[in-house]
Amino acid sequence: MTRLSVKSLWARKVRAFATSLAVILGVAFIAGSYVLTDTIFAAFDEIFTESLQGTSVVITAQNPVEQESGEVATVPRAYLPKVRGVAGVKQAAGAIFTPGGFFDEENDAIGTKFAPKFISSTLPEGLESLTYVEGKKPEGPGEASLDKSAAESAGLELGDTLKIVGAGKVVPFKLVGLTQLGQASFGGASIAQVSLPVAQALTHKRGRFDQISVAAESGVAEAALKRRIEKVLPLSARVETAKENAARGSEEIRDNLGFLQTILLVFGYVAVLVGAFIIFNTFSITVAQRVAEFGVLRTLGASRRQILGSVLLEAGVIGLIGGIVGIAGGFVIALGLRALFAAIGADLPTTSLVLESRTVIVSFVVAFVVTFLSALVPAWRSTRVPPIAALHGFTPTVSRGRRVVFVALAALLAAIGVAFVVAGLAGGGGISGRAARIGGGGIAVVVAVSLFSPSLVRPLADVAGRPLQWVRGLTGRLARENSKRNPGRTAVTAAALMISLALVTFVTVFASGLKSSVAQVIEENFAGGLVIENTDGFSPIPAGAAFAAAKVPGVKSVATIRGAEAKVVGPGNTVKVNGPSPNIEEGVEIEWLKGGPAKLRHLRDDEAIVSDDFANENNLEVGDTFELLSQSEVHSKLRVAGEFESKVGVFGDVLVTQQVMADAFKQRQDTTDFVILEPGADAEKVQAILTLGADRAFPTAEVLNQGELREEREAQIDQIVRLFYLLLALAVIISLIGVVNTLGLSVYERTRELGMLRAIGMSRRQVRTMIRYEAVITALIGAILGLALGVVFAALIAQPLKQEGFTLSYPVGTLIGILVLAALAGVVAAIIPARRASRLDVLESLQYE
Amino acid sequence: MAAPDGQVVVAQELTKVYGSGETAVVALDGVSTAFERDRFTAIMGPSGSGKSTLMHILAGLDTPTAGTVTLDGVDITHLDDGELTKLRRDKLGFVFQFFNLLPVLTAEENLVLPLSIAGRKPEEAWVDQLIRTVGLEERRTHRPAELSGGQQQRVAVARALVSKPAVVFADEPTGNLDSKASEDVLDLLRRAVDEFRQTVVMVTHDPAAAAHADRLITLRDGKIVQDGAPGGADDVIELMKQLD
Ligand SMILES: Nc1ncnc2c1ncn2[C@@H]1O[C@H](COP(=O)(O)OP(=O)(O)OP(=O)(O)O)[C@@H](O)[C@H]1O
Ligand SMILES: [Mg+2]
Repeated sequence: MTRLSVKSLWARKVRAFATSLAVILGVAFIAGSYVLTDTIFAAFDEIFTESLQGTSVVITAQNPVEQESGEVATVPRAYLPKVRGVAGVKQAAGAIFTPGGFFDEENDAIGTKFAPKFISSTLPEGLESLTYVEGKKPEGPGEASLDKSAAESAGLELGDTLKIVGAGKVVPFKLVGLTQLGQASFGGASIAQVSLPVAQALTHKRGRFDQISVAAESGVAEAALKRRIEKVLPLSARVETAKENAARGSEEIRDNLGFLQTILLVFGYVAVLVGAFIIFNTFSITVAQRVAEFGVLRTLGASRRQILGSVLLEAGVIGLIGGIVGIAGGFVIALGLRALFAAIGADLPTTSLVLESRTVIVSFVVAFVVTFLSALVPAWRSTRVPPIAALHGFTPTVSRGRRVVFVALAALLAAIGVAFVVAGLAGGGGISGRAARIGGGGIAVVVAVSLFSPSLVRPLADVAGRPLQWVRGLTGRLARENSKRNPGRTAVTAAALMISLALVTFVTVFASGLKSSVAQVIEENFAGGLVIENTDGFSPIPAGAAFAAAKVPGVKSVATIRGAEAKVVGPGNTVKVNGPSPNIEEGVEIEWLKGGPAKLRHLRDDEAIVSDDFANENNLEVGDTFELLSQSEVHSKLRVAGEFESKVGVFGDVLVTQQVMADAFKQRQDTTDFVILEPGADAEKVQAILTLGADRAFPTAEVLNQGELREEREAQIDQIVRLFYLLLALAVIISLIGVVNTLGLSVYERTRELGMLRAIGMSRRQVRTMIRYEAVITALIGAILGLALGVVFAALIAQPLKQEGFTLSYPVGTLIGILVLAALAGVVAAIIPARRASRLDVLESLQYE
Repeated sequence: MAAPDGQVVVAQELTKVYGSGETAVVALDGVSTAFERDRFTAIMGPSGSGKSTLMHILAGLDTPTAGTVTLDGVDITHLDDGELTKLRRDKLGFVFQFFNLLPVLTAEENLVLPLSIAGRKPEEAWVDQLIRTVGLEERRTHRPAELSGGQQQRVAVARALVSKPAVVFADEPTGNLDSKASEDVLDLLRRAVDEFRQTVVMVTHDPAAAAHADRLITLRDGKIVQDGAPGGADDVIELMKQLD
């Protein structure tokens, strides 16, 4: 029996490979996601370890609140003599390592938009981890170095000008050295070094360090030295051995980039789910086609278990191929994804590809489980074949009663799915729990719709097929009838496409809603004026930009806002705190619920204005007090002085004065500047002047008018949407393989019929057209179902976001575009089967058994 | 254009060899014959004598190793696929032993299929007449699965006639039917010749079937061994016995 199933699989090896491909692609994507993220993590580990060469102990400030883009807490210079006095310390030096911006002579940015750029200070010999591959270490003002790969991609050479923006105006330097960190690659990130005092001046950290690096005397254990240093420093200093520091760094990277792995895996599992449909269908069809063969085997005395075993063994072989080729393909996918991220400006550090044993195990488990589960029902059906089928053929029929049970089951599953989605949306539990519920519910609904879809095939085939019939007459008619011939088969094929297109639709509708909401917020809030923000859209810009802008003729005033993350003392959750300038309402409108503009203009340093959401969550009324903890460990007691309506906008949850922002949160840079124009001022001219000034003095900043701001935000959303489309393309491709596979099998099944059609005068072209339209109809059924599901999901998920100002909008044009593309994809999927069908020899097909 | 002597199909020195060398099988061995307009010809012979091969070559479904076939004055042995398709559309009708009808179309749709394929509008009166002739007025909208084997085969005959072809080829059209259903189908073919002035060439194993024909050609080992009027079924059986 074993020999038989291997032989029968070999006899149909092309089909078997096409079937495996459905598993291979999904598994490869999962393996690739792991390989890529593991590689990125390994690269970061390498960077951390390399950068601590020669360092035994690292001192940084405790950082109780993680910051999204703002200032991180620093340590004072006063620590340094204390540390140097500790026995066993051979060497200790303060260092700066702060994000900034790099530009060349022409003010063109160095490095990609989203890649981090660090201003770093040189360290004394022994602690320095960067090696100078060219030139020399910068000394004193006017000299800087840059890492070699950044310099190369920017075309900079020694002696050229490198402009650096820290917390103030841009400063020009002469490039005197090129560096490298061991063999590590930073990806798109870059590091510029200047001498310590210069770095402190650039980053406005005079008298402070980002960290103190300590080298131990030989023979002194790192852990022992760490304990001794801890004794001489206050608790707000975090003292770590080099190992601990590196471990924390890699832990943080894993936390921060973990979402990347999760997102990629989600796309991988979607692809696997789609693949499962294909495998199920292929096995169903081949089992149906081999009924006579099973009948013969049964007459020869094969038991049901042997038949089942032989079909499942085939599934096993396909699973095995899926696992092996999938893992190999994972490397290709990992490289592809890396290139993809690099292309959108997220050039992540890398090293040689990493294959963890976990990746291998997961890939094989997924490959096997998916093929086995998908083949189980068809395999079971094969055992129902009675020996008599050898003579008469046999079609397992689904009785009416069974059909009813089936539909009832589908309905129940759909109800459960929807309930889960709703529960997930309603909240409760962590974000991952909610996401799991929404995702699980979504899968249940999708499976339910697929169970139900055989009943939908007939009407949908008519909807999709009628127009074809009008245009193409007979071939259209036949295509329509053929697609209805085996509704279950068409349904499963279409369902695979439905899943991928439902997601495409969901992303499209949701993104369009996001864009229109953003547009609305911008329209409502920033009437008329100009906005200055970082070119990357989220990092802070030097405060000097606002002062400079205020002096430009035509500018009435400039309102600024700076932000930081803080922890709410008590509940312990993190909130976004913003410090607007008192004149903020000249630039942005606030929707007051309690209090008013005057409150904000005269806000005191012990007062805060909170969003209604924040007030509700923390049970706060006007006059109540609450306490915030900043990243620099300052506790601020604040009294609620007013309440505003929370919205997707600029204000976050808590508004405090800029004084508090500076003292407690150490935020001296602005997130956004709002430029208010004099009445009658020429906005275009003012913008031109401001842009010129920003280019010269603050090149990390850009000046945008309302339309540009909206375009900028929309472009950001579009980019993410494009990325999602690309990731979803995999699932779409797999579902198209399904169309190819099903169509190929049914052409094979209908060989004689096709021969007859040719004999009575059908041309090759007509045969091709007929098969092509069959594919188009299947694709359209999938697309219609997918569009419907996607729109419903988007509407469901948008529901609770409504009060946050999120409005759905339906991009009808794009949705129609998806429909058209699906039809075209059907045409492409039909190429091979249609060609096969049209090339059949008439006589041979007529005699075909 | 018809041949001057009223011959629709002319076969000259047809030879068909399958395989080569030691294993070569000569399926047809220099067959020359002609089929006249408005005649019903039966081809008989023992199994493997080359009946199907001859018919396939006459119908342009297969090409001979040597020799030519002229259909309506046109040499069809060297046509390409497009020309053959057009030929089958306009000049030929087929009835096969099984698998004649498309399961997804109704009886009437199956009947007019050759016209639909050619993109021609069926003449209503003609279709009605055919349906009446095959006796399926009540079953126009039924699908093949809802028809008996005999009814299906009658639809197939009507379909072969619908485009008024130059010649209808039938390969064992009754091979799968009981005697009553066979009789109906043969009767239909007979009327096609008598009433609709069609030309029919039928391959059969059944002496009773051959008896319906105007002419009986008997093949053996790829050669024509007898050609003439069939006489009654008993005569045919006698003839076959002699050949065996
Ligand atoms: N494709 C082929 N390849 C090789 N030999 C073939 C092929 N088709 C037919 N033959 C051989 O040619 C000879 C004639 O076959 P043909 O099918 O014409 O016989 P037939 O008279 O129709 O027989 P039957 O009454 O059994 O249908 C036979 O010996 C057959 O084995
Ligand atoms: Mg034969």
